[in-house]
Amino acid sequence: MKGDPFPVENPSWTNIVPLLSFQKTLEIYSVELSGTKNIEQTDKGNGKEKYRGLKNCFEPKKNHRKEELRKELDLDDHKLSIKELEKKYGTNIITGLSSTQAAELLAQNGPNALTPPKETPEIIKFLKQMVGGFSILLWIGAILCWIAFGIQYSMNTTSSLDNVYLGCVLALVVILTGIFAYYQEAKSTNVMATFNKMIPQQALVIRDSEKKTIPADQLVVGDIVEIKGGDRIPADIRLLSVQGCKVDNSSLTGESEPQPRSSEFTHDSPLETKNIGFYSTTCLEGTATGMVINTGDRTVIGQIASLASGVGNEKTPIAIEIQHFVHIVAGVAVSIGILFFIIAVSLKYQVLDSIIFLIGIIVANVPEGLLATVTVTLSLTAKRLAKKNCLVKNLEAVETLGSTSIICSDKTGTLTQNRMTVAHLWFDNQIFIADTSEDHSNQVFDQSSGTWASLSKIITLCNRAEFRPGQESVPIMKRVVVGDASETALLKFSEVILGDVMEIRKRNHKVAEIPFNSTNKFQLSVHKTDDPNDKRFLMVMKGAPERILEKCSTIMVNGQEQPLDKNTAEAFHTAYMELGGLGERVLGFCHLYLPADEFPETYTFDVDTMNFPTSNLCFVGLLSMIDPPRSTVPDAVTKCRSAGIKVIMVTGDHPITAKAIAKSVGIISANSETVEDIAKRLHIAVEQVNKRDAKAAVVTGMELKDMSPEQLDELLTNYPEIVFARTSPQQKLIIVEGCQRQNAVVAVTGDGVNDSPALKKADIGIAMGIAGSDAAKNAADMILLDDNFASIVTGVEEGRLIFDNLKKTIAYTLTKNIAELCPFLIYIIVGLPLPIGTITILFIDLGTDIIPSIALAYEKAESDIMNRKPRHKKKDRLVNQQLAMYSYLHIGLMQAVGAFVVYFTVYAQEGFKPSVLINIRVEWENSNVNDLEDSYGQQWTLYQRKYLEWMGYTAFFVGIMVQQIADLIIRKTRRNSIFQQGLFRNKVIWVGIASQIIIALILSYGLGSVTALSFTMLRPQYWFVAVPFAILIWVYDEVRKLFIRLYPGSWWDKNMYY
Amino acid sequence: MAALQEKKSCSQRMEEFQRYCWNPDTGQMLGRTLSRWVWISLYYVAFYVVMTGVFALCIYTLMCTLDPYTPDYQDQLKSPGVTLRPDVYGEKGLDISYNVSDNRTWVGLVHMLHDFLAGYSPASQEDSINCTLEKYFFQESFRAPNHTKFSCKFTADTLQNCSGLTDPNFGFAEGKPCFIIKMNRIVNFLPSNSTAPRVDCAFLDQHKNARPLQAEYYPPNGTFSLHYFPYYGKKAQPHYSNPLVAAKLLNVPKNTEVLIVCKILADHVTFDNPHDPFEGKVEFKLNIQQ
Repeated sequence: MKGDPFPVENPSWTNIVPLLSFQKTLEIYSVELSGTKNIEQTDKGNGKEKYRGLKNCFEPKKNHRKEELRKELDLDDHKLSIKELEKKYGTNIITGLSSTQAAELLAQNGPNALTPPKETPEIIKFLKQMVGGFSILLWIGAILCWIAFGIQYSMNTTSSLDNVYLGCVLALVVILTGIFAYYQEAKSTNVMATFNKMIPQQALVIRDSEKKTIPADQLVVGDIVEIKGGDRIPADIRLLSVQGCKVDNSSLTGESEPQPRSSEFTHDSPLETKNIGFYSTTCLEGTATGMVINTGDRTVIGQIASLASGVGNEKTPIAIEIQHFVHIVAGVAVSIGILFFIIAVSLKYQVLDSIIFLIGIIVANVPEGLLATVTVTLSLTAKRLAKKNCLVKNLEAVETLGSTSIICSDKTGTLTQNRMTVAHLWFDNQIFIADTSEDHSNQVFDQSSGTWASLSKIITLCNRAEFRPGQESVPIMKRVVVGDASETALLKFSEVILGDVMEIRKRNHKVAEIPFNSTNKFQLSVHKTDDPNDKRFLMVMKGAPERILEKCSTIMVNGQEQPLDKNTAEAFHTAYMELGGLGERVLGFCHLYLPADEFPETYTFDVDTMNFPTSNLCFVGLLSMIDPPRSTVPDAVTKCRSAGIKVIMVTGDHPITAKAIAKSVGIISANSETVEDIAKRLHIAVEQVNKRDAKAAVVTGMELKDMSPEQLDELLTNYPEIVFARTSPQQKLIIVEGCQRQNAVVAVTGDGVNDSPALKKADIGIAMGIAGSDAAKNAADMILLDDNFASIVTGVEEGRLIFDNLKKTIAYTLTKNIAELCPFLIYIIVGLPLPIGTITILFIDLGTDIIPSIALAYEKAESDIMNRKPRHKKKDRLVNQQLAMYSYLHIGLMQAVGAFVVYFTVYAQEGFKPSVLINIRVEWENSNVNDLEDSYGQQWTLYQRKYLEWMGYTAFFVGIMVQQIADLIIRKTRRNSIFQQGLFRNKVIWVGIASQIIIALILSYGLGSVTALSFTMLRPQYWFVAVPFAILIWVYDEVRKLFIRLYPGSWWDKNMYY
Repeated sequence: MAALQEKKSCSQRMEEFQRYCWNPDTGQMLGRTLSRWVWISLYYVAFYVVMTGVFALCIYTLMCTLDPYTPDYQDQLKSPGVTLRPDVYGEKGLDISYNVSDNRTWVGLVHMLHDFLAGYSPASQEDSINCTLEKYFFQESFRAPNHTKFSCKFTADTLQNCSGLTDPNFGFAEGKPCFIIKMNRIVNFLPSNSTAPRVDCAFLDQHKNARPLQAEYYPPNGTFSLHYFPYYGKKAQPHYSNPLVAAKLLNVPKNTEVLIVCKILADHVTFDNPHDPFEGKVEFKLNIQQ
């Protein structure tokens, strides 16, 4: 199948084939790259074939989707006559429905609006935040606290309320972090809310024999509506009468060519026939009257939208990673907790005490603040991206882009500018290249030739498009034009080169005009010339090149008319072929000065009788237009390539155009060939080509339809450069699923309604902010506000950076868990006075550590992150074994040792040497012992000991805090030395360090007197006891990094690099 | 860890886990080959040995910096705690109740006092010296044997009626029980400027009981003689024993629970710390049944 790129049996391609085979069966205006028609033909095999393509992927689970598609095809209103229609819908095309009828129907069928995607109720979202992640562990902790209190209370009614407080604090922590996460989530969704609000649309409808303007959502089946150029079609309508109406079906089919509409039934397929206008498409010009045949969700667009909502939302990669991480930490917490519960019980501790140990272990193990930190970090990146015109709807999607390995990009509007632009000119037997960049500023082709003077005149005069008035200050390329795409292109092109086109037209007064129609396939106008001495009329004509050439007998070369001989005709064909092969739409231009004697100044031209010659004209030149790629795209594609991201083009457009654009933006690189290219080069049959030689592939929807999933997988793995053309929305979905089967993280960009199912299915859907339809924006996770593909590269970069930085944040946060956990374990086994309290741990996790861990999000990349492969979904985990081991067993342990040294120092200097502390726990905590002796023979009351214990907490806390500063600094890099990275480049780190110190100072000196917090004043020197350990941590980590750099791939690298 | 992601059937997970535990293809157990395990274990052993060494060194240095005689700081010991004998704790603090007529209820209490005063027998005090000065007994140098400082004797007979010598029942039998009040030791602590610290016991809720508490104090006036201070610490004064004051409560109402507080009145002893019920004072509930 792939062997033959141009199967002639596909009627849609007859438009192109003539060009290549010189057939004379041209039926249209030019190389019409129309999409709608063709795309529907691809699907035309009336459903059955379409299903066949879908079968393999969808059949098991998506039966309802089939139902919907069948419904779509059941539409047969386009076949009915107006009388039948009137009967069917009980309406009258002159008087319309009556108000009562309409009201009844409205009540029966509901308003004419798409049901918004089902929203999860806010309360469910909120509760989800309350039980997600570590919350469940903390809830368990809180409940254990209350149970412990319950047991205590039942034994002794005056037992202290400490456990109740702790339980409440834990619950409060869960609720607060839950509220915070919910708030962050809500904030990012709110941004979207503005997009969802559409300006209420109005529709002009005939009811009760009167024309009325009503809100479009009040429309019902059977209403007679009138539309005019610029309107959005308010519902699916069967057109009854049409005056030069063209519609833009791009959001439905992905093609930007305007589609002419008529009231005649032209095709069996409802999508194909010209007498149906689809909901939400735009009427570009002309007027039409139609009868509403479908409203709301029953419209074709509505069905595609529901197809999109039927596609389940995939879990984002970062969500999977965080879940993985939560599992690890929770696993560690629960297993250590249970292990020590058993140890405690077997050491003859009371069950109650054991429960309290369990709580302590859980609290020490769970990084309470981390999930909030992750949220903040992600939203910081989201904000940064928003500044670069990437609006992120779903916070987690920020990272997804970073792990993306395949981008399936739509062509129109994403890779291209979505406007026809003059790309090439052919005159004087030469092809000239026009500047197609966004501002057209640099037109360098030779403009000195006399032929150009004539050509430019034709371009200027034989054109009905006009700038909308009042745009003098707007750059030419941005001005709004009334007219169709190619005329707009010509107008802007001539305005840029020649200056004020309107003025030129005024000087060359138009006396007659035949607008383009499908029978003539040309457009002509007759003008008075601006040369006062020349009284001749100038007739200018443009149209399909073959048609124009037929009418010519001479050709202009270097400003001189020459007879059109065989050689020049050959040259013309070669040029025409070449431009057509570039996927461009070619127009021919010719003119004729009407002899003044036959056509005096007073001559009246009659366009109906054609009382003027339309043959033996002088051929002037060709001009070809294309929707050119955005100037930033090739660079962006190259960057994606070097970042190991495969860029696949998926478009509804024609293969030749798609391939041409793919080549020009680098999706198909300059030196790669498709199988067909090789066949052509070697002059052999396509079947004989060794498929391995081809790097690129252009696959059409037709071919795709016949592929089994295995074949698709093979295609996706074997070809690094793939272009899918002529694809339907369902096929886009199949392609995305195929990519996901390769374990790839797939990004899909798109703007049309037709893209929305694929956007939804993708790991990250990226919609275009300007050109994008609402359905696409709804389905997407990210919106490019400037429609610029290059913004995706920024997004990838930010996504990768945030992944790296999250790794650092998590490593930083996990480290101190060991320093928080060890005290409990030692307390249970050795019987020391408790070195750190549960509340104190919470103050580290939610106090001193929060700002520093956020600060790591501001860290710059260590190396060029855009030069490495995207991470492997299953292998490159956010939290891997090395990270956990290094954090827990190396740095964490050093921190624990350092903090214990501070603890012992405080106790020893206050009177309790380490030797007496061992196994002192029972007496220490016994409230009946008020004369406990220390190493110096001094005797302590319970409260005095308690106070000392709090001092120990504070000391331990300070010890951890000081070492966390070192931890923060070492986490700035994972491989490079801190000095390579720059100690002061990330200022926020220093804000973080300052915050740590200030919070600790406030807790110790400011809140030292609040007994409930169990902080005390600490002698200044104790703040410095842990400093040597902090330095040791730094040195150790520098050594680690040094060895990693010195011996890449070594045992050290494998075990120490996280 | 591998088993924690995505949906897999249970048998698949088990198989994966088994493969993780022992992978016959690569000879890996738990993700590493045997030699890899040895290497990593060696590394960790070395690392922990070094860390233990560092820790030991730190503690050793710490111990070297400590003064063996006096603690560096006494931040929490501004004022001594006070304890009571016999010490029976109820749900909330000291709670002593007994029935005069049922000696089983108080024999334990008496026993407690006897045990406590055993440490104050002349035999156990023989390493201490007799002091009569009634002034602070400052000792700059270590003149006592074994490079220590002298401690003053405090023998039980100082407590006279509450010594257990004259009345082995400590007055419990007649409803006028003796309570022994002890002040906690604090190194180098001087309780007052010139006068000896004195114990004063009273009903806590005075207005209810019109008659103030009458008590006999032993030694007379209920003072701790100044020559027991300052305390130079366990190493300097290995034989030091706290001076005691006994209070014999004479008019405790019977069959009601009364709250009694015994405070130490001295310039540098505070008893108004709201958090610490044993600082400078001791409170107890007393209920004598008849």
